[in-house]
Amino acid sequence: MVNKVNEIKRIVQDTKSLPTLPGIVLKISKLAEDDKSSVNEIARLISSDHILSAKVLKLVNSPFYGFSGRVSTISNALILLGVNVIRSLALSSSIFEIMEKSVVGLWEHSFGAAVAANTIAKILQLPDAEEISTAALLHDIGKAIIKIKLEEDYNQLISIIKEKDISMIDAEHEFLGTGHPEIGEWIARTWFLPEKLIEPIACHHNVKKSVIHKTKTAAVHLADILVKASGFGFSGDDIVPRIQTEAWDKLDLNEKILEEIVQETEDRLIEAKNFSLEIQTSGEKQS
Amino acid sequence: MKNNLRIALISKDCELSSQLSIHIESKGHQVIVFNNESLVLGYIYSDPPDIIIINFQFSETNFHGLISEIKKDCYFGTIPIIGLIDENTHNNIEWKDCPIDDFITLPFKYNELFSRISLAKNRIQRIFDNNPLTKLPGNTSIQKAIENTIGAPMSVCYLDINNFKPYNDTFGFTRGDEVIRMTARIISNAVRQTGDGGFAGHIGGDDFVFIVKNESAEFVCKTIINNFNIIVSDLFEEEVKHKGFYIAKDRQGNENKIYLLTLAIAVVPMNTPQINHYGKVAEIAAELKKYAKKFTESKYVINRRKR
Repeated sequence: MVNKVNEIKRIVQDTKSLPTLPGIVLKISKLAEDDKSSVNEIARLISSDHILSAKVLKLVNSPFYGFSGRVSTISNALILLGVNVIRSLALSSSIFEIMEKSVVGLWEHSFGAAVAANTIAKILQLPDAEEISTAALLHDIGKAIIKIKLEEDYNQLISIIKEKDISMIDAEHEFLGTGHPEIGEWIARTWFLPEKLIEPIACHHNVKKSVIHKTKTAAVHLADILVKASGFGFSGDDIVPRIQTEAWDKLDLNEKILEEIVQETEDRLIEAKNFSLEIQTSGEKQS
Repeated sequence: MKNNLRIALISKDCELSSQLSIHIESKGHQVIVFNNESLVLGYIYSDPPDIIIINFQFSETNFHGLISEIKKDCYFGTIPIIGLIDENTHNNIEWKDCPIDDFITLPFKYNELFSRISLAKNRIQRIFDNNPLTKLPGNTSIQKAIENTIGAPMSVCYLDINNFKPYNDTFGFTRGDEVIRMTARIISNAVRQTGDGGFAGHIGGDDFVFIVKNESAEFVCKTIINNFNIIVSDLFEEEVKHKGFYIAKDRQGNENKIYLLTLAIAVVPMNTPQINHYGKVAEIAAELKKYAKKFTESKYVINRRKR
């Protein structure tokens, strides 16, 4: 187990970039051809993709620019990196050759969580709404690492989950000796991402563990659950966990407001589904 | 100089690439080979190398787009680019359009290549007067750029950050440096986004200069102010942002209300007879800035006087 954990740590250290869906890159390259395409449009597209967002945040927080750990939103990254850099970065992204169901599922789950988190932040009037959605978008980046860099282990995990009917995180602890929140935390630290993003990634399954950014963590925790409950995307298992008391209290939730959040999230996930289908078909057309 | 460099090699010729890689790696350097142009920029942006070597042989493209894209950026422009060029073709190259730092003719001697790599690294450090903090051009370049625009339909814009000194004193110079670096990026990106050249320089401290066409000046000022406000709001705690000020000691050591960081920009159009030398520009700008600084929010002021 210790060896496995060390191996994963080493893999995380060496991870420079991750592939993403061809549909997104194709859409960005179309936008990039048009000189007049708005910066916001490009930012919006990047903000729908956990891999590209992670890539952009990794670059803007790299020691090369000298503000490591300070930039936590895509719109700020765009201002600081400039459109040209963002464009080339998106265009040079590696893409998946085959659109596997699990890859699309995790992409949808991440995007859906960002949509849900944004809704939560708006309805509860939480400060830093964009940071909360970014953190939600990246919350399962650890799973992306397992899926892409430890393909065999990932398949093992999926069969363990089916066999024992347990959650992904339980399977990870049983089989890998660590979980995707830790793996996500390692990659976020390796890439000098801000603490505001690291904590929700690291603690979204255990809100109690969060110290400084408890509200953000609680919102991401809730977003993860809501998107799973709605059946949008696939994050490895179908088990919907309970909302942790710490999160419920920190967000000052009640039945009525939760219902409002659920309703609004459902509505917005329909749009998200349409966008996802668009991305999937445009990716297929290319290949 | 660092002993082990990270070298990006762009070459269609696979045999040359692998031979070159072996030689370079034997010297303890690291090589990343690209056999076409398309992925190079993204790589350079995400993981900047120390040197770029481009093989111009067997290539339909002349790499001009790639090279000027790298050289236009104040950050990446300081990465030396060395061309590998056919012996018979180098006198046909229009160097103005091909701003590389050095070239070596094919076939080359490895020893010479290594010396050229080392020379290119050192030359860049010697000739650039760029500010080490922001990598923007410094005063010699600024003066030259301003002198070149006298009489032209261009605007020289002086920018500084209000309340920067108390911010630096209160939150520490690391945080202060961050603000300076961020401001530099905001300015150079806004200038670059106009798409027609322009110039961005760093005088020192929290003083910057940028030069754009007269018709773009207002738009660039607005973009810079807008983006600065967005970025700055991330630098303060929620409570401070809400109040709009924080309490800190001023230069006399008295506790005082300090307002958040804002910008003051003085815009001096250069095509007026009033401006006949470099010193005059700074003089007018200083006057305008005094006015711009009277406000608690960010302001740009344009010189409208004709004589």
